[in-house]
Amino acid sequence: MADPKKKGKAEGPVSYDPSFSKEVFEKVDYGEKIKMCMQCGVCAASCPLSMVMDYSPRKIFALIRAGKRSEVLSSKAIMLCTSCYSCKVRCPRKVPVVDVMHGLANYALKQGYVPREETALFGREFWKQILRLGRIDEKDLPRRYFFSKGIIPGIKKSMELADMGIVLMLHKRMKLLPERSVKGIKELRKMLEKASAMGNGGA
Amino acid sequence: MSKKVGVYICKGCGIGDSLDIEKLAGLPEEEYSIDTVKIHEAFCTKEGVDLIKDDIANGVNAVVIAACSPRVNYDVFDFGVDKIVERVNLREQVAWSHAPKDEDTQMLAEDNLRMGIVKANASEPPVPFKAEEDYSGKLLVVGGGLAGMTAALEAAKAGYEVILVEKEAKLGGFLNKCKQRVTFPYKELTPTGIEDMAAEVSANPNIKVYTSAKVDEISGGPCLFNLKISQNGTQITEKVGSIIQATGWVPYDAKKLPHLGYGRFKDVVTNVEFEEMAKEGKIRRPSDGGEVKTALFIQCAGSRDPEHLPYCSSVCCLVSLKQATYLKEQDPEAVSYILYKDMRTIAQAEDFYRKAQRDGNIFIRGSVEAVGDEGGKLYVAGYDELLGEKIKIEGIDLVVLAVGMVPASKPEAVPKIKAPEGAPGADSEGMIEVAADSGFFANRTLNLLYRQGPELPTLRYGFPDSHFICFPYETRRTGIYTAGCIRRPMESYQAEEDAVGAAMKAIQCIELTMRGMAVHPRAGDMSYPEFFMQRCTQCKRCTEECPFGAINEDEKANPLPQPTRCRRCGVCMGACPERIISFKNYSVPMIGDMIKAIHVPEEDEGKPRVVALICENDAYPALDMAGIKRMSWSPYIRFIPVRCLGSVNLVWIADSLSRGIDGIILLGCRHGDDYQCHFIKGSELANVRLSKVAETLQRLALESDRVRYVEIGIADYHKLPGILDDFMKVIENVGPNPYKGW
Ligand code: SF4
Ligand code: SF4
Ligand code: SF4
Ligand code: SF4
Repeated sequence: MADPKKKGKAEGPVSYDPSFSKEVFEKVDYGEKIKMCMQCGVCAASCPLSMVMDYSPRKIFALIRAGKRSEVLSSKAIMLCTSCYSCKVRCPRKVPVVDVMHGLANYALKQGYVPREETALFGREFWKQILRLGRIDEKDLPRRYFFSKGIIPGIKKSMELADMGIVLMLHKRMKLLPERSVKGIKELRKMLEKASAMGNGGA
Repeated sequence: MSKKVGVYICKGCGIGDSLDIEKLAGLPEEEYSIDTVKIHEAFCTKEGVDLIKDDIANGVNAVVIAACSPRVNYDVFDFGVDKIVERVNLREQVAWSHAPKDEDTQMLAEDNLRMGIVKANASEPPVPFKAEEDYSGKLLVVGGGLAGMTAALEAAKAGYEVILVEKEAKLGGFLNKCKQRVTFPYKELTPTGIEDMAAEVSANPNIKVYTSAKVDEISGGPCLFNLKISQNGTQITEKVGSIIQATGWVPYDAKKLPHLGYGRFKDVVTNVEFEEMAKEGKIRRPSDGGEVKTALFIQCAGSRDPEHLPYCSSVCCLVSLKQATYLKEQDPEAVSYILYKDMRTIAQAEDFYRKAQRDGNIFIRGSVEAVGDEGGKLYVAGYDELLGEKIKIEGIDLVVLAVGMVPASKPEAVPKIKAPEGAPGADSEGMIEVAADSGFFANRTLNLLYRQGPELPTLRYGFPDSHFICFPYETRRTGIYTAGCIRRPMESYQAEEDAVGAAMKAIQCIELTMRGMAVHPRAGDMSYPEFFMQRCTQCKRCTEECPFGAINEDEKANPLPQPTRCRRCGVCMGACPERIISFKNYSVPMIGDMIKAIHVPEEDEGKPRVVALICENDAYPALDMAGIKRMSWSPYIRFIPVRCLGSVNLVWIADSLSRGIDGIILLGCRHGDDYQCHFIKGSELANVRLSKVAETLQRLALESDRVRYVEIGIADYHKLPGILDDFMKVIENVGPNPYKGW
């Protein structure tokens, strides 16, 4: 886990401020569920990404409780959740951790907290591709993402990951030819448009 | 009684395949002139039992059954109290654990049979004790709180008359102070119901209540307890059969917690004070009567702290959850912080913890560094373990200290008594501090006229001693049981259950005592120690060492045994240097005869002999278990079961060694703070006495390695063969006992 001291360590002792908890309970999707968190740490231990997160899911809930609004809303952790559901399945207090993480990410965006440049970029490219093909092209998405910062870094990154690409191809996880769009792509686009118009969910 | 012994050797369960049964069956006739010897394929079958019954009908009155362990089939081989039944273990401890058709195995079986025959010869059927005085079947309950009243009601419902003594003017105890309860199933707050219960008790025709009363004196023993109760200056006498002490607890003294702000700030209160405030109507700031918008509960206030109360009281977490709920109900906008070490909500009380979370109370795991005052409000500074940062919570209206439970029996300071002359550790006035495990330690409640002190001996934290795991209600005074928070800290639902348990034990005690039987752990035993007083030297060992205070003393130091108080452990028998204490079926000469019955081979045969004195409660079953698991150990060891290691008289060691036995091993239960000894002090006493055996060994010019003391729990059976073989190696190393063949 990233060193929590790097971030959000205020001067002097933390004074608990219940107003942020209240805000989360009221405004964040599934936010109220974290009242039940007993800080056991099972979610943190289950989360495959907690080692690259700045705060583990458990710690996020502790920070909310303490009222550390900006630390939580600007945290990398809430954006990194990959929806693996391990935490939600295992939480003994039935906190839907993954849903809360997404709820928080969504809320952070609405509150004007911008995610890291790469995260935002990846997200944009991801959605573009979904809208275009109805699926992800495993070559095309990384390519767009790698080269978004220029040609030189793009080539460098591609070279670094070339071996993995070969393995993926050998296992038929990645095709040489470009992916075609899914059947009924038009209908899918309509669905996605409608969902976004409803304005719920999605990071 | 004129005795006719019959010997019954079973071939079942593999015994027949392991031993030369015909040869074994020749032994009783050859060595003991017993002509009734029968062999059967399985004596535990109807046919087998009928064989024995036929012989009994023809005059056999002592039955030696060489078959399975005495721990099984005891109901099958029960031929009535006037018949002696001696079980010789040929199955678990011979056939199942030693090489079949082997000379050493056969010798082992032979010795076991000899010991059984000798024991049957020396035993008499016990005659149940009956005192001259009339027996009382009433119960006394001391303490009219939840536990005491529950016990009284339960016993009354079972048809027993109860006398209830309460020191306050009103029944109810601590719950009188409480606004509500949170108890099983721990979902919501519920009314305490204590007033209804008090009314029910008062109206019950089987219960006689004395309020504003106390017990001045108790003498006698189970079914013979004579009481003096005083109430408003008058003294009443009563007689009861058994006693339940349910005198409860007091809160830990918060004055000892100034670091948490108590006594320094008016708005720092204890959980008891908070409860009283809630009960009176409104939770306010004591300083100015103002509203409580923010409260902070400090858990483990003094608890789990070696400087204060080292243990967990197991209820204060739940109490704080309840009290935070009071506050929420009074003002839904109010915030409660709960600062804890661990939230310990016992059993399903976790449900109430969830409720308190759902209500939006804020839980912080951490520690307190300072409590202070800032502009009329309190703050608490400390460390939040889960945040990993220092915290300071400001603007608090009320700080509540969740203090723990101290047993009412625990004195403020260690009491002193007049020291016997020349005792080390006496102060300038000749006074000496009493030991915490003595009957002189606890606050006066029962005022027993016992030689070993007026109260129940206590454990380390001042709770009355009991065999915590196995026999929780039993105290070290027979017929006196504890229930509720005097026994250990507990929540009200548990206190009620506890009271039911203690009431049952108290009833059992009455029923058994009336029949002349022992209570737990030798429930049903009708033997009791008899003293051959002519030879008593007034050495006081028996009166001092009896773990249950069953022996009083007259002015001349003559022991005055009180058989209804006796647990039949035989510790007095082990203690008596004159060997004048014996039971009808257990005595010093009897075990001595058994030792003498063992055939000790000549030195040149290279077959050592070891006597194992093995506690019947745990070590013997452990050995059976090892046999059941087909484990094996040296066939040179002869096991003699004893009631308790405390009943081992050192003379047996001298007897064994002087007869050429090469070594002696004592196997018993663990002693110390976490003792497992069924008679509490037995194995400890054995250990102390054994430390003095070196003298005997020296006198005989023998190595001290020949005697070993081992503590073993029932679950450690798998270690037993290793322990035994290890000892055999030592014995082989020290070489044969030079007294062989004398
Ligand atoms: S697993 Fe559930 S209860 Fe445990 S820390 Fe995570 S969210 Fe809280
Ligand atoms: S019950 Fe809770 S507050 Fe009380 S001592 Fe145990 S852990 Fe501490
Ligand atoms: S030592 Fe044991 S057997 Fe002896 S009087 Fe006391 S309880 Fe009874
Ligand atoms: S131990 Fe034996 S000799 Fe000593 S007082 Fe007791 S009965 Fe008498």
